[in-house]
Amino acid sequence: MSGGAFELRSVEKSYGPLRVLSGASARFEPGRAHVITGPSGAGKTTVLRLLAGLERTDAGEVSRPADARLGMTFQEDRLLDNLTATANVRLPHARLRGADLEAFLARERAALAAVGLPVDSRPVRELSGGQRRRVAILRCVLADADALLFDEPLKGMDEKTVEQLMDYVAPLLAGKTVFWVTHDPREKDLLPNSLLWTVRDGRIFPA
Amino acid sequence: MPRAGEKNPETDGRLRTWGVRLLAVAFWLAAWQLAAWAVDARIILVGPLEVLARLGELAASGEFWASIATSLGRIGLGFLGGVTSGVALAAVASRLHAVRELLAPLMGALKAVPVASFVILVLLWVSSRDLSVVISWIMALPIVYTNVLEGIAQTDPALLEMAEVFGVRGLDRARLVYLSRVLPYFRAAVSLALGLSWKAGIAAEVIGLPDLTIGEHLYDAKVYLDTPSLFAWTVAIVVVSVVLGAVVSRALDAALSWWEARP
Repeated sequence: MSGGAFELRSVEKSYGPLRVLSGASARFEPGRAHVITGPSGAGKTTVLRLLAGLERTDAGEVSRPADARLGMTFQEDRLLDNLTATANVRLPHARLRGADLEAFLARERAALAAVGLPVDSRPVRELSGGQRRRVAILRCVLADADALLFDEPLKGMDEKTVEQLMDYVAPLLAGKTVFWVTHDPREKDLLPNSLLWTVRDGRIFPA
Repeated sequence: MPRAGEKNPETDGRLRTWGVRLLAVAFWLAAWQLAAWAVDARIILVGPLEVLARLGELAASGEFWASIATSLGRIGLGFLGGVTSGVALAAVASRLHAVRELLAPLMGALKAVPVASFVILVLLWVSSRDLSVVISWIMALPIVYTNVLEGIAQTDPALLEMAEVFGVRGLDRARLVYLSRVLPYFRAAVSLALGLSWKAGIAAEVIGLPDLTIGEHLYDAKVYLDTPSLFAWTVAIVVVSVVLGAVVSRALDAALSWWEARP
């Protein structure tokens, strides 16, 4: 990734009559994890989508490092239902062939096993909601990306699963710019060297 | 799983279904035979036993198999052309609104115009030898085009957004994101178009009379009032259609299973 940071400058964003962000500004230090928290409907997901380039501002600016490669989890799984877990995780690596493909496949299988997912030929439509969620997280963390954006990735997961998942995921996040949206500020402790942000009253503040 | 000696309800159910189907077929064959005996006029109606005997005679000749192969080859070629061009046009039309609008009346006309009109019209432009190729092409094209276009349109925008974020674009997006959604539509289109192409292709042969084809034999049977041959060729057409449908359906299912189970 070339130099530069993710930054919001005086961002205004409304959905119809609902004003979500009004004058939100923040500069996110590259190579660190940024845990973005706040009450429901405060605009956390909107901030994430703006940073990913999936929304346009009504006013103000969002800047991203040039040519930044992104990985993201959404509030929904957004998996390809009739493909296997490995085929879904490999989606951002669609061009892999031959020995590279075999090597990545081995890495995928190890990742699935590490987070307690079955390694088999079932399409993901046959997996449970929690299992699908973990597949979506692996797709994101194993993407060859500079910045990873997570929208409430651990929602609904039990403590043991979270522990098992984060044991595998957290080391992979080191050195990457990570945006981690959550309701629960305690998730900051899951991400080493992270910064906590709060979205409130249309703005974003370092907590 | 049932233990040894226990009945498997799934197998039992399947056997019962097949039993009922066979009984229904046997009933209609018996009714057909009784009707043939009652009419007692070979020119008007022959029974299944005589048709079977005639079919056996035909099947013993090389000409029978050569005619089936010729018809199958030409109609198959047209069908494959219709499938290929239908998929390609749907892919272009899904990207370009102008192309979609331009093709809408053409596809509507292809679906609405009677096959007989097309056959006579196309016969003015191409040789009778190529008629069934063109007609089966025309039959398959609008069905495949419409279904594939619908499949592409039904692709979840959330998945496309996800692909955009991960930088999956172009052919990779078509292969991984669109294909997953389009395959069930494509499968339904191929099953439907196959039967229609086959029937329309044979009808075209009956009118165009190319040498050594099923259509030519059907026409000859009609001209010479050879009702047993007419029925025998019709049975052959139905059998080919059923076998072809089953083979293509299984091949598509196998391809789909392979695609889904890829690691």
